[in-house]
Amino acid sequence: MLNLLWLIPLLPLAGALLNIAAGRKLGDPRSGWLATSATLISFLTTVLAYFELLGRQAEKRSHVETLFSWLPVGSLQVDFALLADPLSITMSLFVTGVSTLIHLYAIGYMHGDAKFSKFFIYLNLFVFSMLMLVLGENLLVTFLGWEGVGACSYLLISFWHTRNSAAVAGKKAFVTNRIGDFGVMIAMFLAFSHVGSLSYGAINEAAHAGELAAVSATAIALLLFVGACGKSAQLPLYFWLPDAMEGPTPVSALIHAATMVTSGVFLLTRINPVLHVSYAWVSTTVAVVGAATALFAATIAVSQNDIKRVLAYSTVSQLGLMFLAIGSGAYVAAIFHMVTHAFFKALLFLGSGSVIHGMHHEQDMRKMGALRKVMPITGFTFIIGWLAIAGVPPFAGFWSKDEILLYVFAKSPVLYVVGIVTALLTAYYMTRQVIMVFYGKARWRDHGDEHGAHGDFTPHESPRVMLMPLVVLSVLSVVGGAMQLPFSKDLHFLEHWLAPVVEESEAHIGKTWAYQNKYLLLLLAVAVATAGIVLALAVYAKAKLKVVEPKVLEQAWHYDGAVARVVAGPGAATFNLIAWFDANIVDGIVNGVGQVVRSVAGSLRKAQSGFVRVYALLISIGAVVILGWLLLRGVVL
Amino acid sequence: MNDLSNFFGPAVDWLAISPLLSLLAGALTLLLVGSLTGQWPWRLYAHLTALSAVIAIAISIRLWGDVGTNGARLLIGGALALDQFALFAAIAICLAIALVSYLTSDYLNREGVDLPEIYALYLTAGIGALVMIASNDLVVLFLGLETLGLSLYLLAASNRRQVSSQEAGLKYFILGGFASAFFLYGVALVYGVTGSTRLINLNAALTSYIPVPRNDAVLLIGIGMILIGFAFKVSLVPFQAWTPDVYQGAPTPTTAFVASVGKIAALVALVRVFVVAFPSRSDDWGTIVFVLSALTLVVGSVVAVVQTNVKRMLAYSSISHAGFILVGLEAASHRASANVDDGLVGVAVYVVLYAAMVVGTFGVVTVVTSDQANSDASGSASLDSFKGLAKSQPLLGLAMTVLLLAQAGMPLTSGFVAKFGVIQAAVAVGSYELAVIAMVCAVIAAFVYLRIMVSMWLADPSDSTTVKVPPLSRISIAVAVAVTLVTGFLPSLILDLGSNLAELASK
Amino acid sequence: MEFFVFVCSALMILVGAVGVIVRKHPVHAALSLVLTLFGVAVLFVAQEAHFLAAVQVIVYAGAIVVLFLFVIMLLGVDRVENLRTEPLSGQRPLAVLASLGLVAVLITAILRGNQIFNERGTGLNLPDAQDGPDANTVQLAESIFSQYVVAFEVTSVLLVIAVVGTVLLTRRTRATAE
Repeated sequence: MLNLLWLIPLLPLAGALLNIAAGRKLGDPRSGWLATSATLISFLTTVLAYFELLGRQAEKRSHVETLFSWLPVGSLQVDFALLADPLSITMSLFVTGVSTLIHLYAIGYMHGDAKFSKFFIYLNLFVFSMLMLVLGENLLVTFLGWEGVGACSYLLISFWHTRNSAAVAGKKAFVTNRIGDFGVMIAMFLAFSHVGSLSYGAINEAAHAGELAAVSATAIALLLFVGACGKSAQLPLYFWLPDAMEGPTPVSALIHAATMVTSGVFLLTRINPVLHVSYAWVSTTVAVVGAATALFAATIAVSQNDIKRVLAYSTVSQLGLMFLAIGSGAYVAAIFHMVTHAFFKALLFLGSGSVIHGMHHEQDMRKMGALRKVMPITGFTFIIGWLAIAGVPPFAGFWSKDEILLYVFAKSPVLYVVGIVTALLTAYYMTRQVIMVFYGKARWRDHGDEHGAHGDFTPHESPRVMLMPLVVLSVLSVVGGAMQLPFSKDLHFLEHWLAPVVEESEAHIGKTWAYQNKYLLLLLAVAVATAGIVLALAVYAKAKLKVVEPKVLEQAWHYDGAVARVVAGPGAATFNLIAWFDANIVDGIVNGVGQVVRSVAGSLRKAQSGFVRVYALLISIGAVVILGWLLLRGVVL
Repeated sequence: MNDLSNFFGPAVDWLAISPLLSLLAGALTLLLVGSLTGQWPWRLYAHLTALSAVIAIAISIRLWGDVGTNGARLLIGGALALDQFALFAAIAICLAIALVSYLTSDYLNREGVDLPEIYALYLTAGIGALVMIASNDLVVLFLGLETLGLSLYLLAASNRRQVSSQEAGLKYFILGGFASAFFLYGVALVYGVTGSTRLINLNAALTSYIPVPRNDAVLLIGIGMILIGFAFKVSLVPFQAWTPDVYQGAPTPTTAFVASVGKIAALVALVRVFVVAFPSRSDDWGTIVFVLSALTLVVGSVVAVVQTNVKRMLAYSSISHAGFILVGLEAASHRASANVDDGLVGVAVYVVLYAAMVVGTFGVVTVVTSDQANSDASGSASLDSFKGLAKSQPLLGLAMTVLLLAQAGMPLTSGFVAKFGVIQAAVAVGSYELAVIAMVCAVIAAFVYLRIMVSMWLADPSDSTTVKVPPLSRISIAVAVAVTLVTGFLPSLILDLGSNLAELASK
Repeated sequence: MEFFVFVCSALMILVGAVGVIVRKHPVHAALSLVLTLFGVAVLFVAQEAHFLAAVQVIVYAGAIVVLFLFVIMLLGVDRVENLRTEPLSGQRPLAVLASLGLVAVLITAILRGNQIFNERGTGLNLPDAQDGPDANTVQLAESIFSQYVVAFEVTSVLLVIAVVGTVLLTRRTRATAE
């Protein structure tokens, strides 16, 4: 079975190709069904691969499937190979699984869109790239997927490119990701020059065996971390993600919540031995950046009014938690949280999509309210998602977040405090959102005429094809925590499963104070979550406390604006200077001075207007510099 | 001594120079028969040109196997070299000739002046290029350079209806002559020091009886002047000023030709001269190449971003590509490193893949800007002509997208393989600074291609005029795209070939 | 003696070369060119390359410059370019500076490298007196047809291109004929 590993990414690709060929003819909704079934079969294949791997002994759970020799250049050998091991299969499972659900949802959501089949082409291509990313056996295959998901993300964000904001957001995502890609590329070359291979097996083996010097391991890990920051929207490269919400909501759910943005976390987990042998401050950096991002984004989420932007900042914050986990050596917890987060965040996004769909593309929460009555299923599933992310037991998010915080405490109590404050804020802003959207006064009645509706405007429940994924995801959000329960070693299913991949680098916290008092921390976490919810209830439902939503938070601490100003200011100025040089010095001599020439000399032709002389002068000056330098070398030596 | 009866000329391996002869035969047939007969029907000019190029390719492939078994060698008394490095470039040059001649045929028929001379000039330029890439002698190299150069000047000026074309040709001619003077002076100085113009003898002389280090300013100046001559031909900053003007003013198929054949020939010859003849002074020229490469990369990519004319944009992008290729040469100057040959392979692979990309790209530009061809030169090929191309002509838009992605160096296209090769070579020899500069520039340059792609895919067509893709151009573009994609997906196809590339004859 | 000849001919060459670019009248400029070409011929003689010297005089000074003069006459000799005004500010001073720099670099290099030239300066294999009057020609022929045969053949292609180019650029196209 595992030698059919290539089928997993191939199926979505085939789906995309079929839709390219016949998508227009199939039309709406059949091309959507085609794409959905492609991912579904891919999911089933992954499940088979999972069982095959499960049937093996723990240390043999790794299979490399080499498709062909890709880049035999000089001393470098890179194969086009896929790797099936517990980590990659876990990733593939939830990528294909969640994708299938979101594809299904999108059939309903995108119904009636003029570019229906194109949307599914992009979506399938995205799944293909994402699977290449997680299944790649070496950095280059992963990088290929990495670029692919970036490109698809760009295409899907600007899918509604007639909106100018969408085109701008797409560009922002592109630019930011290029910065990250740049880090990955340099890391790749460094890995190659120090290990002589790009394969994860070889790199991790070298790190294990101590053949990788700490300094080079540090450089590689840091550069990959830069890449991860770009992709996973960490400080200081986070600002593209909230803007990416311009894309259709299924895209936000799939790419910008569940899958693509977690690839940074995946990458760092993939090379965990390298991280392990690099200097200790690297892990600390990762943890600090993660913690800072988590807190920073959570504060912003508190005063956003766009239903999707709240979730976007929440995603940034949760990703920060995952990086915090990685920095604390809690790889299992990071993956655990990644999976549960995929469930409940996809659920929340799809739920918000359902609301937006029902509200005729209204995204402002101030114009919603009391929607649970008109949209009961959406409301119910959204509330489950809320409980999961807020950290209420026994929902999935509680267990994974708690696991992370446990490790963080062992690493540093200061970071733990940051984490727990983030958890408090998370509970607070999510409760705020639920209240604003589903409870309270039906504010949409006041705004009915804005929608150009015909007299009475009533939100409506979404079609069944959209509700089905919501229900499945809400079930997963409830039971997802069972993957890894803290009560007994026997219940650490995920830890046992991932052990072959991360065992060596996983932090050992068995003897720390935190571990011995883990139930105390558990209780503290519950208390904090409850406090957040109660606080939000007091503010928004009962109006007992004054609403505190500082403008600075709404403007995301002005960070985005500052970046934009820097880019638009000095950055653009540099480009403008060069443009000016080209336009005025070079072309100016051609045009402006050329005119003077014509008026003075009259009979001179354009070709004689002087600039050949200028070019020749440039050549001469260049020649004098080069030759002068050589002369100095020749004479001085 | 004067008894000429016992004079024997050098042995001539006729098969080994048959690619040259094939091109020559094509050129002479076109000129001779073309001048005696009227207008040929059925695009025969282009077919004949392509045929002689394809025959040259076939012979080169035959020779490739021969060199593979018997090893690299020198021809005709050591004037020319026969090795896979040269054959590899020769195949690319001939392919470019064939593709460009088809593009030209459509272009000229649209303009209503299908003349045999243009095609003959392509073939003579090809002869010059083949001589250059294989030359093992500085004098022969210079003549090849001039043969190629003169043909290119004429081609650039060949559109007599446009002042801009004439102007481009004249500028190119004057500046080219200036650069040639540098080159020739350099050859003279080097000859003065070593007493030879044969590359192999130069190396022998420089390593044996003129030991390093010593006071050899004349030699270094000579090397420097040769480098300057080349730098002009491959448009390295600050010798690049002519490039945008010529690329913009010349007829678009000619631009494709200048960018592909002109560049391959000069770069391959540059590499051969410096690696074969002057390895003993690689510390000196390596530094200059480093600086030139970095400057070229930065200026090329940054200035490309602010252009509005697509041909100018691509001109600057071709400048930045030259910078990339020079990264490979810089890597080849680190003679202490064990991986020094990676640079050579990187350069060879890069030029060949780049040729396919650039011919395809300019092919699309030729087709797309057809309607404005008769208008003012500065107005043609503006970014606006590409607006909504993907909607009116999806296949053409797709082809252009693939080619642009390749130029940007996206994985799964040949551009990635090319860029990866040279950067990997730079890293392998420890030239990290240049590798980083190159990668930053790749990121900057990606914007250029993105701009064209965005206007193709996201903008609506500016007017209702539809672009027609003539059949021969279609073939050219399709072949270019196919090369780009196939080598991108299966780079091993081309990289496996490259294993012996670094075995230069007489190295 | 050799030095004296060299200085004289070098002066001829330089004066001619400068004359070509500073004389306002095209005919004078063309005649200055003749001076330069003659100077080169004298240098050839000094190097005992008598055949080359003869070719130099016949082909360049004789044929080519005469052709130039023909063209100038046909186009009209009255046109005098005004070189007084230089519209590009800074162009001339910079050009002078760059040229001086180039000259300085070259002269320094050659003076420093004098030693190298002397080491390697075995010179050509000059024909002896008993080899006969055509020894020089034979030597040249041998060189051309052995060591430089490829260069010789490529030159022929170069000349073909020149002819084609002339035709291409001067032929009346239908567009201009209309």
